[in-house]
This record gives sequence, C-alpha cells and structure tokens, in this order.
Amino acid sequence: MVLTCPVAMGRTTRQDVSSELSRRGLLRAGVLLALGGAAAPLAGCGLLDRDGQPPQPDPLAPLLNESLQLAAGLRATVDVHPDLADRLLPLAESHEAHAAELARLTGVATAPATPTVSPSGSPTAGPTDRSAAMAALRESERVGRESALQACAAAPAERVALLGSVAAARATHVEALR
Amino acid sequence: MSRRIATTGSATALADALTAEYAAIWAYGPVGVRLSGAEREAAVEAEAAHRARRDALVVQLSTGGGSVPPDRPGYAMPFPVTDRASALRLAVQVEERTAAFWRATLPVSTGAERDRALAALVEYAVRATRWRRSAEITPLTVPFPGRPG
Repeated sequence: MVLTCPVAMGRTTRQDVSSELSRRGLLRAGVLLALGGAAAPLAGCGLLDRDGQPPQPDPLAPLLNESLQLAAGLRATVDVHPDLADRLLPLAESHEAHAAELARLTGVATAPATPTVSPSGSPTAGPTDRSAAMAALRESERVGRESALQACAAAPAERVALLGSVAAARATHVEALR
Repeated sequence: MSRRIATTGSATALADALTAEYAAIWAYGPVGVRLSGAEREAAVEAEAAHRARRDALVVQLSTGGGSVPPDRPGYAMPFPVTDRASALRLAVQVEERTAAFWRATLPVSTGAERDRALAALVEYAVRATRWRRSAEITPLTVPFPGRPG
C-alpha cells in the first residue's frame, strides 16, 4: 500500500533543468543584493542603530551561503573538467535549488552579507588533477552535510523538513562523488 | 501548539513510518532473491536496517501508550519484480519512500527523536543513491530527498 504511492523520481530534476537559467539569474541577483546589503549598515549607521544592535542575520544565512559555494565549486570543476559535467551539474543544480528554497524561507533581506566565494570554494582555483578535484568536492560536501545536520537539529519545526532534505542531499552528494 | 497535540502528531507520523518500514522489509524479500553477490549483501544489510528501525518504533510507540499499527500479510508493489533490473528499481523506490516517511516525522519530533528521524532520512537517501548507481539511473541524486513530489 505504501509502495503504491507515486514517487517523484526525476520529475523535480527535469523541472530543475528547465528552470536552471532563471534560477541562476535569480541567485546572482540574490548575491548582488547580499553584497550590496553589506554596505547598507555603514550608510545607515547612527540613524537606525541607536542602541548599537546590528540586525540579527537569519540563522540559516550561512547555510544558504554554503549552498551557493558548493554549487560554485562544482561548476568551477566542470569548467576545468568538462567530461565531469553529467556527474557534477545535477549536484550543482541541487545546491542552487536549496539556495532558492532557503532564500524563500529566510527572505532575501536576510541573505548572507558576506562574499559567497571562500578560499576553499574558489571557482577559479579548483585543482587541475581530476582525482584531487573530486576529493576536494567530496570533502566540501561532507563538511556541508555536517553543517546542515546541525542546522536541522537546531531548527524550529517549520524549517526542519527542508533542512533534513538539504542534509540528506549533501550526504547523497558525498556518495555520488565516490 | 499544545504539548498534547504535538504528541499526537508525533505518534501518527511515527505510526506511518512504522507501516512504511513493514512494507520496506516485505519488499526486500522479492528484491533480495533477484540479486546476487555484493548487491544481495547490500539488500540484506538494507533489510536489517529497516528491521532495526521497525523494532525500535514498535517499542517506542507501545511504551508511549500509542497504538501500534499491525503488520500485514503483504503489500502492493508498484510493479512486478521479475529480474535484477526491476529489483534494483524497487530498492530505489523503497528507500526513497521510507526516507519520505521519516522526513514527515521531523516537524513533530524534538531532541533525540528528531536526531533518529534525521539519521533515518539521511541513511535511506544515501542508500537510494547507491541503488541508483547499481541500477545505472542518472542522476544519482534527487534535489530534495524525502520531499513529496
């Protein structure tokens, strides 16, 4: 009985492919907003922050940022190793889908106000050795899995299902990169 | 939300997860006999994981005073399992379906119960990816494991 329910295998993936361009555009816009947002507190300093309390970033902002970094790292590796595109691009698209959902959940205004490219996920400095590149991606996914697990454990009920899926997805990425 | 409502929601979600585990254990019977070697070992290991979670759920639900749904003599399968290929496809579905039921328990669980639900969701999602690799299904992953389509 349980097994007769429809399974959404592949369906979301096709949607992701078809909406990839628009979502990437959306994410870039989000990144620009986030970067622009970093300057806003400076401009408004002394006008709004009278009690010296900066606005609290959403607790999920680092996770959203991490999704974008993981996607960027995967796409950068595809740039160096185009033959890995079939394996890596679906993973990048998943991270971008996570980022879009997390942005929706947290609101664009609370998007991370830090640069989205860290030294570990630099899109321009991926290892040129293929197996080293794969190992680096696997390690990034493993770290990402742990942070998503922690976020899920600490999240309020209305966020926990999405965060569980993000953690599970990152865990499957570790497996898929073997 | 009152504590009582939350507890009731949790018991319902856990009872649903238990029914999913019954079905998963049942499904691995026909799956296992169509596989051999390392794949059969993986099926045995997967079935053992579902049995362990079933047993834990039965204990948890009965000690919590909730109703424990009974196992059934059989479960309808989405397609006949006639060979290795269909066995692998069913294994993928079993893991993805049970992952979805554990995901559904997350919003109504806290603390150690949430940790267990999360561990089940992650483990079954990873197992689904391994079965996808065996079945040569691409991509190996889905964007949101356990999310209803």
